[in-house]
Order: sequence, then C-alpha cells, then structure tokens
Amino acid sequence: MIAWVLLLAQSAANPAGMSAGERIFAQNCSVGYCHGIAGAAGRGPRLRGRTFEEGYLLRVTRDGIPRSAMPAWKGRLSDQEILAVVQYIVSLRDAAPGDPAPAPAAEIISTATAQAPTTQIQRGAALFFDSTRDAYCGACHALDGRGIAVGPDLTKLANETPREIVAAVEKRQPERVATAHIKDGDSFPALVVSRESGMVRLLDLTTFPPVLRTLEPAEIESIAPRAEWTHETFLKGIGPGQMADLVSYIRWIAAGDSRPVSAADTGLF
Amino acid sequence: MRSTFSTLWLAAFICCIEVFAQTAEDWPSYGGTPNAWRYSNLDQINSGNVNQLVAAWAFQTGVADGGFQTTPIVVDGVMYISTSWNRVFAVDAETGREIWHYFYPAPREIGIGSSPWNRGVAAAGGRIFMGTVDNHVVALDQKTGRELWNVTVEDFRQCGCNITAAPLVVKGKVITGVTGGDSAHRGYLTAFDAVTGRRLWRFWTIPGPGEPGHETWEGDSWRFGGGSTWMTGSYDADLNVVYWGVGNPAADFYGDQRHGDNLYTDSIIALDADTGNLKWHYQEVPHDVWDFDAAYECVLLDLAVRGQVRKVVLNVNKGGYAFVVDRITGEFISGWPVARNLTWIKGLDDRGRLLDRNEPQVDKSKFICPSIGGGRSWNQGTFSPRTGWFYTTGIEWCQDVTAHKEDAKEGKDFFGGVFRLRPPPDGNPGGHLDAYDPITGKKFWTYASKYPLLASVLATAGDVVFTGDPQGQFFALHAKTGEKLWDFQTGSGNRGSPITYSVKGRQYVATPSGWGSAVAGVLPQLWPETETFRGGSTLYVFALPRPPASSGSAAK
Repeated sequence: MIAWVLLLAQSAANPAGMSAGERIFAQNCSVGYCHGIAGAAGRGPRLRGRTFEEGYLLRVTRDGIPRSAMPAWKGRLSDQEILAVVQYIVSLRDAAPGDPAPAPAAEIISTATAQAPTTQIQRGAALFFDSTRDAYCGACHALDGRGIAVGPDLTKLANETPREIVAAVEKRQPERVATAHIKDGDSFPALVVSRESGMVRLLDLTTFPPVLRTLEPAEIESIAPRAEWTHETFLKGIGPGQMADLVSYIRWIAAGDSRPVSAADTGLF
Repeated sequence: MRSTFSTLWLAAFICCIEVFAQTAEDWPSYGGTPNAWRYSNLDQINSGNVNQLVAAWAFQTGVADGGFQTTPIVVDGVMYISTSWNRVFAVDAETGREIWHYFYPAPREIGIGSSPWNRGVAAAGGRIFMGTVDNHVVALDQKTGRELWNVTVEDFRQCGCNITAAPLVVKGKVITGVTGGDSAHRGYLTAFDAVTGRRLWRFWTIPGPGEPGHETWEGDSWRFGGGSTWMTGSYDADLNVVYWGVGNPAADFYGDQRHGDNLYTDSIIALDADTGNLKWHYQEVPHDVWDFDAAYECVLLDLAVRGQVRKVVLNVNKGGYAFVVDRITGEFISGWPVARNLTWIKGLDDRGRLLDRNEPQVDKSKFICPSIGGGRSWNQGTFSPRTGWFYTTGIEWCQDVTAHKEDAKEGKDFFGGVFRLRPPPDGNPGGHLDAYDPITGKKFWTYASKYPLLASVLATAGDVVFTGDPQGQFFALHAKTGEKLWDFQTGSGNRGSPITYSVKGRQYVATPSGWGSAVAGVLPQLWPETETFRGGSTLYVFALPRPPASSGSAAK
C-alpha cells in the first residue's frame, strides 16, 4: 500500500498522467451502460461531483467489487494506468454532476507486450478456445487460466512428445470414463464427480457440452468402468496441421516449449 | 340441426384457440402462454371492482441487487419466483408460504459483461428450468428444488455473455438464448433436452463460413458480431415454429469493420422447433449502428389484414417501431412507431425499409432519438382479444452519441462509442402506456408517466390493464379508456412483470417491486432525483376482499 501511495504522489505531479487517465476512462469505464461519459452515471454509480477516498478508488479499481458488475482491472490495465484513471476520477470531484465535458476521442494506448508466442502457438490457442465451433477443447479443458476444467489437466502432458500427445487425445479413456446406467433406461459415458450427502454427481459426456447430472443412488442401476468413449466426434474437421497447432500450444503452456510442431510430428499421416 | 352443429363446432374451435392463447387458473410461462399475449381470461377482478383490491400477501426475497425483474409463474397453485443471482423460491400461491428455495452457487468473480438479474424460470414435466448469471442452464425438481442437471452453455469469462431471460420449453426442449450483444461474441440460441440436459440443437444467429448470409459480414467480424438472444421467444404449435427476436450487431455504434446487412442481427427468426433449422427471417434494421435490438417479445396474433385473416408476429424493437410480419412466410405487413421522438430514421416505406438513416459519426457527437435505452425497453406489452388492441409502453428521450473506432477483443465489451442522454426536442422526457390497433398502429388512448415505464403490462378479461412505474406505484387502467381505476404504493420502483392467476376460485394479481437494471441506472442522466430511488425485492399479491363469513357454509 505504501508503494501505491508513493506512485500516487508521483503521478499526481505529472499532468501527462492526468490526460492518460481521461483516455483510459473513456475507453474502459464510460462504455455501454457503465459509468457514463466523464462519470455521469450509468449502470455503475455516478463518479463526477462526488468525493471518494483515493485508497478506496485504488482498491476498487484494482480488485473490483465481488458479486457486482465492477471488475478487477488488475491484469487488464497496468499499475500506471490504474493510477492514472484513479487520478482522473479524483479530479471529477468538483465537476457538476449533470454537465460533463464532451467525450474525448478514443486513442489506442500502447501496452507493453510480453515475449510473444510463435504464430503456430497463437493459431493453436485460437483453435483450442474457438467457441464459434460447435465443439472446442476449452469447453472441457482449462489451460492458462481459461476454459472449464471438466477433463484432465493437459499440463501433465508437458514432457510427452507430439506423437504421444496426439495418441493420448485419440485413444479411448477407459480408466477415466465409466458407463452409467440409469433406472429410467438411459445410459451414458460418465465421469464421476462426487458422491456427497447421499447424491451422486456425474458428468454425462454424450453430447457437447457435458451435462452435470445430480442423481439419488436409487435412480442409478449401475456405474460400470470402461466406457467406449473417445474424442472422435469432437475432432471432426481437425486435420494433422491443426492438430500440430494444438499440440504446439499445449507444449508451450505446459512447458514453455516453443519449438515448432509439424504435421508429420503428430503421427497422423 | 345443421346450424346448431355449426355453432357448436365454431364454439369448440373458438374454445381451443382461446385455451391456447390465454391463461386461466395458472400463469404457466413467461409470456403467460407460448404466444406471448400476457393476457388472462380471469374476470373476477374487473373494471367495476378493481378499486377494491387489497393486499393478500407479500414475499420478500432479500436479494435487491440489480432490481427485481422477474416474471413469476404459477403452476397448480404454486408460484415460482426467481431473483438476481439466480435464487429460486417455490411459494404457496394462496398464502405466500415458502415451500422450498434454491440458491444457485454463482461465482464470485462475475465481471463487467455480466448482469446479476434474472427475468424468470420455466416449468415443464415436473422440472423448473433457469438460465444463470454465469451462463449455465439448470433443471430443478419442481417438488423439492433439488438440482437435477446443470450444463455450462459457454464459459462466461470467455464469451462476455450470460443468461437473464426465462427459457421457453417446447415439446421437451428447453430453449434459451444468451446476452452478449455488446461484447465481442457470436450469438446463438440453444435447445437442451428437458430430461437429460443434453444439447439437441443450436442456431447460430450469425452465419459461419459457407452458410447463407455469411457474406453480410466483413472479414472476421462474424466471430465477434453480437446477435444476442437475450429475451424469451414464442411458439406456434400448429406450425411447430419457434419465433425469437435477435439483438444488435457488435460493436454497437461503430460499423465500419462489419460493412453489410449483418444477418441475422435485429431480425425476427422463425425456426423449426424440432431441428432449429431456419424457416425464414425478417431483418428490421440492416447494419444497425444504434444498438436497436429486435430482441423483445414476438407476439403471435391471428388478425384480419385488409379483410383477410393472417397469422402474424408482432415485434416492437428498441428503435421504437412495431413490426408486423406474416408468421408463415416472413412477409412484411406493417410497421408503426410506439414513441414520438424517433430521429434515427425518417420512417418506414411501404415494404418496411428504413428511410433516411441518421447514423452516429466517428469521433463526433451527434444528437439522435431515441436513446440507447430504446423507444421502448424489454418490458413486455400485452394483447387483449376483448378489445383487439395491443398495449405497450413507449419512451421519449434522446442522446448525444459518439462512435469510436474499436477493435474486437473476444468476450470483452464491444460498444464502439459512448452516449449521453438528452431530453427530446419536443419538450419533456418521459414515458407512456398506449392502446394500439396492432396492425395499423392507430392509437386509442395514452397514459402519460413522468418517468419511463419499465414494468411489463398485463391485460385481463375483466377489461383491466395493470402495470407499475419507477416510483413504486402499481396501478390498474380501464382497458377501453385508459382511465386509472386503482393504484397501490409498493415502496420501490417496478421493473418486473405482473401476472394474474386463481387458486380455489379466488383471483390474484401479483407484481414484483424492486428498482434497478441497466436502464434504471442511466435514468439519473436525465432525472437526477432517480439516483436515490430505493432498491428492493418484494413480490406483492392482491385480491378482492373475502366476503364476510356471516352466511353459513363459508364459516365451516
């Protein structure tokens, strides 16, 4: 917190930081139904013509407000940008509540770029999370803080060769996926999630996306190991080249390995 | 003999149409019935006695965030109420006693693209269905509230979308849309099996590569073009067709990276209920750059058009125009305004095309009416077969809007500009409720309101029209004259949907009271005093006083 205060003091002395705050606010905080132009109110509260404690503004801007529409900007804006926008909000304290200045024109703010992944890794990441496909990897596998962790953690594949990774994707999963038989006559490939408080929770993998079923033990005929379930239906239309892209992405996230992966490396020819 | 037979046949025919079209004892679904009339054939409460209504019970949900925007439903004397953060209560509809509750475990990291409110649940086959704040669909046991299945429609953190609308259940399918029209996202409508939760079909509201209509999007813009499906659709059982309104293209105000008509945004879509295949579409606003969704209710009516009975669908859009379209063919029939201050176009030609588009400009402020909040909000209108009129609200307000060039970032806000509300040039901003001929738009009466009316409207066979206002007044108007017959101060602004139902021969009128929502949040730009309007979340239920227990049998 002391560091933040020091930074705050520095940025207060810097008029250029103020105008940056105005731009950042226009691009991120005025949008849509949120805080309105120059803090004139929206779905979010009015910010102009009100007095906020700076430390509070910093905390809320950085960390968001849980269970509200206010997001955490940490990670989306740099520390300097958060400071600049807080300074701007503080400056609105003496503004008339209902009479904002005209909106500033948006400008692109350059952000520092981390070491960029290769274009193949980027293609693989885009495909992994391509929600415009009817089925895509990220809906069942979390990677890099994204996606939904239904299936196994793919970072465990870090030390595997591309051919081994592809083989793991293509093979049947009898040790993981069971077959659930329900007393109403239905049966489905299932991942057992939990057996708690007298309830059995199963993920039904029949269709995409998987369905979390909560059943009473009395509703279940049996849960037999070894389902004949594979990724096959979800891999339709994924050729060797695209598989190589996916593998390059998985290896990069799992092990920081940025070596290219060729279609031949996948063993799919 | 012959004439008696004909009369009986006609009576039976009318009876069955009426049963399909109106609610009776129950209020079983979001729109009352699948044709979205919001009309009940109950008439115990009528224009002659509505001024005697008294409170029967109230239910406090304890969840005031974001406003109480629900439409309660009633099935077999039990009411199902949803609140913000996806809490569901099953309540004895006669007494208000809680039977069970279900609190959805909403994640704590809900961010900017999400909205906590919920607009209702659906019931069918012993199950209650709800879409969630983090874009899941859940099925609950109707008797106990126990969760039966739960499916993640799409990762809400990735899509910048979620579900606030009530699902529509058709033939064992739970059909639900998503929000996300103001995010970089590709919209869709999905049908799930009511018993298992398995996905049965999905209709993408933006055609992908190789599909007809894909050519109406420039470059990669189809991937991030919005086209949300954020309200509840309708169903015609005879045609087996689902009708749904599709929202705006993204970015809302900036269209230079998506040149083209941008199908099927701002369109009514007609889908085969079994397959989700498109039968026809009607696009109301090609290449929208105003955020004027066509996402609101699709009201299904069989009405005489120039002497011939036509099956039509009526949809009021956010631009403030009602569109009437043949629901078998998708042919345009008529279009008419629900607000006076509409400067984004000069009007419609006789084929429904927009005249003289007045578009926002990049980096330059422009005065345009209505505001982004719409010539009407999502709160639903109502059709009464007794008057033959459609009752809907309208809003008079404008904005200074500035478009900004913006690049899509998947799942992030994608507005492409900013706005500031302004009063309309014709005088004071405000709202109104009006009675219209649904085909011609001829207006029969107007009820004026200081603030926009943001609650849905209910009509009954008692010739009473109910709605509520932002100051908390819940009120009844005469369906034929608009005369105010009764009001009740509910203590917080009305942003949900009133319903009516009957238990053991007694008719009730129920309404949610609880101020809040995105549009409620921008009102202070025009009406600063609304900033301090109190939130709340209480369901009020009214009925006529019980007769005094003096005469014999009633006392036993």
